[in-house]
Amino acid sequence: MRRELAALLNGLFAQAPAAPPRLRISDSWPNVELVNQFGRNLRFRDEFLADDRALIINPMYTTCRGSCPGTSATLEDLRATLAPVFGRQLSLISFSVDPVVDRPARLLSYAKLYGAGEAAGDFPEWQFVTGTPEGIEALRRALGFFDLDPRVDRDPTRHAATLLFGNSRTDRWSTLPSGLRTPLLVETIRRVAGTTFEQRYGIRG
Amino acid sequence: MSSEVTPLVNRRDALKTGVAALVAQAALAQDTAGQERAGPYDLPTVKFNAGLSTTVPPWAFRCRLPQPLVPRPTFIGRFEEVDRKPGTFGPQDQRPVGEVFHGVALEWGQTPEHWSAFGCNPQKTGQESWKDKQQHFGTYQLPGGKTIRNWGHLPIKCYKIPILELTKQLHPESAFPARMYGYAGMVPGPLLKMRLGQPVVVRYENHLETEVSIHLHGGHSPSHSDGFPSFYVLQGKARDYFYPNILPLHEERLEDRVTFQPDLGESQSSMWYHDHGMDGTGYNVSKGLAGFAPCFGEQELQWLKSGVLPSSGKASWTDPEECLLETDPEEIAKLEDPDHPGFYRKEKEPFYNQFDIPLVLQDRVLDPKTGQIAFDTAGHNGYLGDTMLVNGVPYPYLECLNRKYRFRILDGSNSRVFRVRLLSEQDYFTARDRGIEGVPVDDRDPAVILNRGSLYDQVSQSFLRIGKDSWLWSKALARRSIVLAMANRADIIVDFGKLAAGLAPGEEKVFYLVNTMPQFDGRGPKVALDDGGDPRVLPLPFDTIATADGAVPTTAVAEMSRPQGLLKIIVRGITPEQAAKLPKEATIEEGTPLLQHNHPIQDHEVVAVREFIFERGRGAWMINGRFYDPTIANATPKLGTAEEWVLRNGGGGWWHPIHIHLESHQLISYEKDFLADAIVDPADAPPVTALTNLVNVTGQIEKTEAVGLHDVQVLGPNTVARIRMRFRTWNGPFVFHCHNLEHEDMRMMYNFEPVPSPKSRPEHDPNVIPDARTHGNSVTLQPTVGQTLPNGKPAEYKFGELPFEPLPTPQAPASDAGTLQIPPRGGK
Repeated sequence: MRRELAALLNGLFAQAPAAPPRLRISDSWPNVELVNQFGRNLRFRDEFLADDRALIINPMYTTCRGSCPGTSATLEDLRATLAPVFGRQLSLISFSVDPVVDRPARLLSYAKLYGAGEAAGDFPEWQFVTGTPEGIEALRRALGFFDLDPRVDRDPTRHAATLLFGNSRTDRWSTLPSGLRTPLLVETIRRVAGTTFEQRYGIRG
Repeated sequence: MSSEVTPLVNRRDALKTGVAALVAQAALAQDTAGQERAGPYDLPTVKFNAGLSTTVPPWAFRCRLPQPLVPRPTFIGRFEEVDRKPGTFGPQDQRPVGEVFHGVALEWGQTPEHWSAFGCNPQKTGQESWKDKQQHFGTYQLPGGKTIRNWGHLPIKCYKIPILELTKQLHPESAFPARMYGYAGMVPGPLLKMRLGQPVVVRYENHLETEVSIHLHGGHSPSHSDGFPSFYVLQGKARDYFYPNILPLHEERLEDRVTFQPDLGESQSSMWYHDHGMDGTGYNVSKGLAGFAPCFGEQELQWLKSGVLPSSGKASWTDPEECLLETDPEEIAKLEDPDHPGFYRKEKEPFYNQFDIPLVLQDRVLDPKTGQIAFDTAGHNGYLGDTMLVNGVPYPYLECLNRKYRFRILDGSNSRVFRVRLLSEQDYFTARDRGIEGVPVDDRDPAVILNRGSLYDQVSQSFLRIGKDSWLWSKALARRSIVLAMANRADIIVDFGKLAAGLAPGEEKVFYLVNTMPQFDGRGPKVALDDGGDPRVLPLPFDTIATADGAVPTTAVAEMSRPQGLLKIIVRGITPEQAAKLPKEATIEEGTPLLQHNHPIQDHEVVAVREFIFERGRGAWMINGRFYDPTIANATPKLGTAEEWVLRNGGGGWWHPIHIHLESHQLISYEKDFLADAIVDPADAPPVTALTNLVNVTGQIEKTEAVGLHDVQVLGPNTVARIRMRFRTWNGPFVFHCHNLEHEDMRMMYNFEPVPSPKSRPEHDPNVIPDARTHGNSVTLQPTVGQTLPNGKPAEYKFGELPFEPLPTPQAPASDAGTLQIPPRGGK
């Protein structure tokens, strides 16, 4: 507490910056420890928010018999369609809401089904990540993949079938149901997560 | 405060700010009522704080209520003086109407095909079509016998409004101003005063880093000018919004012929405009993109003139630049506010009225450390704020005279429902400190105590409510509270002369406008402050009177024991000098007749019934099990007919205010499933069942309100509203949606497309979705590829609406239009 107070007061006595600070929506997302399908350890913020890349995030788990296979197939489509637009400036992140069962090896075998079983090259990367139950829970809540109804929320088979996408440079984020037609998703993801007129609308501004 | 003001922080202030921030943080850590802890990795970013949302900070009521400025037009002239003429949007902008990236509505220079029914000639274009329309849009007589030309007799007004990022000090204890978005760089946006019969073109130019779309809420505008969610104004581009300000025509069947008369009951009063861009509406509106657009029809001007409504005298019914833009620099200096070039001085604005005050209520999360608005994209249930803003300022104060005032109150928040009351300072302080139960009651009005039974009603000040949404009611009603859901408006008259009776000149009496509605998540108001979300007792979204047989219980919506002040109103006794300058006090009182709605939609007029279920699914929001798709039509009513729509809440304890664009709607019945209320397990909302167990509470709603016109119908938990609307005037895609902006952004929206059915074509069947948009892909007038742009460069791509990629699928399954379809009646 004392250290916090000191830091805060130091900050205040330093010269006040001319422009008001940016308060970004993504500031509230936790830097949780995660591990991806290749077994590499990473932290959420350091890995995905450090360089202002475009992100598409969805919750999933490998044994899902509901929406996940469809969502993953949609993501595979989106990855191919958006590759010429974003290149490596886009990351797809599928985080497991069943982190106890879904360990890296299982994620890798699932990822292979959707063409994300090896390093991406010039393609947008697609990381399947898992972590500790507490970490995943914190991430899921912060990213908005929860339901106000506690029973729905506790039941992993009724998890949200939505995609969160955007980019922290423009601080624009949006969430859409993954069940929308793919052209509609492409239009919106380009518009919200893109940073140039051409990237957003496919025409020169 | 403007951006160039750099706040100076001295040592003591800094200490104070730091400590305040720490205290706020500690409070945040302790107060987690209604929300879950975010977990071990929680960052200290400010989120909605339920505790703060029910109290008032110590710095409240020190800032004056700002009143939005009225912009001067850039040009006023007849069609031939505006069309294709450069400079009508100011000397800096040489692009004529329609020659901007997104063009202008087709209706600017063309006549819709189906207007042949009104006697218009759709073959005519440009000036010819304009003259033709003026001829056929009728005249009407005011009660005094004066004949009024309905439309086009007043010249067109052109405005230019850039949409800008601005900085404005919101949190008084923060060292930094907040970054916001504003129409013309103002929050709330400039007051766009509309006059019925006077067409307006507004060129909105987007200077933000987000795409926008501007919806004139309550306006009767063509599709291209209506703020359709995907008809954007892209970054760095402009669109010309054509607002004809036209009254729809009502078909009158006489014995020998059919005539069309202006439907005077549709004359709007309190419109507003706000962002409607797809997927980003919630964020953009929370950053400040909203403003008022009051509308003045002949009848309303007459009520001002004859002293029925409060006015400032002649200035309140005149417009200094009604027909001609002042160009003499000396005259302009008299009209314009020297601090805000391009805006009127307050007392010189059209229809200036110091007794007519717009109030927009909004809630925001403010970060005291950075001074910024903290938006929560993860709040898909609805973005709630814990700091209440009136006209863009947290907890302001307003100085009034002891006279009658008209307040147009708008709930401009994303997801918060308000119950607005007016309390005297003494009652407010006592209720704030000890709860409403602690306020002593005198015997001021025993009848009220007997009838209402609410503790609040015993101490709340009485006022007149004269309208809901865009329209005035047929008569003024005495009220003590208003339940205001998102986007709903309430027009009220407060008689401070009566409430502060006996006030000596210069003496003060203080009142507080308060909110008593407990709400801690996007689902809707709660039953009690300590109720963490149990939806078992689900009230109706308005107060009803119990029936004798008990079928309808008294269902007052819950109220917080401690009211939260929103606005401090300081009433000052009028001095003799002031009194001498003012017109006579307005004559309006309870029961005074106002706007008459003479055309209820009869059973035989209804040609189709559609049912729409608003529900949650797969982590997002749906209508009839489907997410919004802007490229298809979900319902295609036939123009010139009426339909009945069944709007049904899909369950789960959510409140959904349903806003239907283009037309007003009439409430036919409001039904409630009380049985579902009783059996709902908070953890397991029942699936949607057949329309059974419903109890019609229409008779328990105040009749004047029920028969008035609406543009937002709030669906409380387990309710079904049946509404009827006529489709006239404009074809093309329009939307209806939930006005909880987060639900709207997560696709709780549908398209309806009124389809013309002129004699030249096979009759349109409202049960069948046509193959293509009635406008095709061109809802704008635009230069085609190959032409030269005003800047001399060749046009490389089509202006107007960007085509989707790939091109839209035209057909939607018939099931989209609902399961309750009936074949068209009459005709065949």
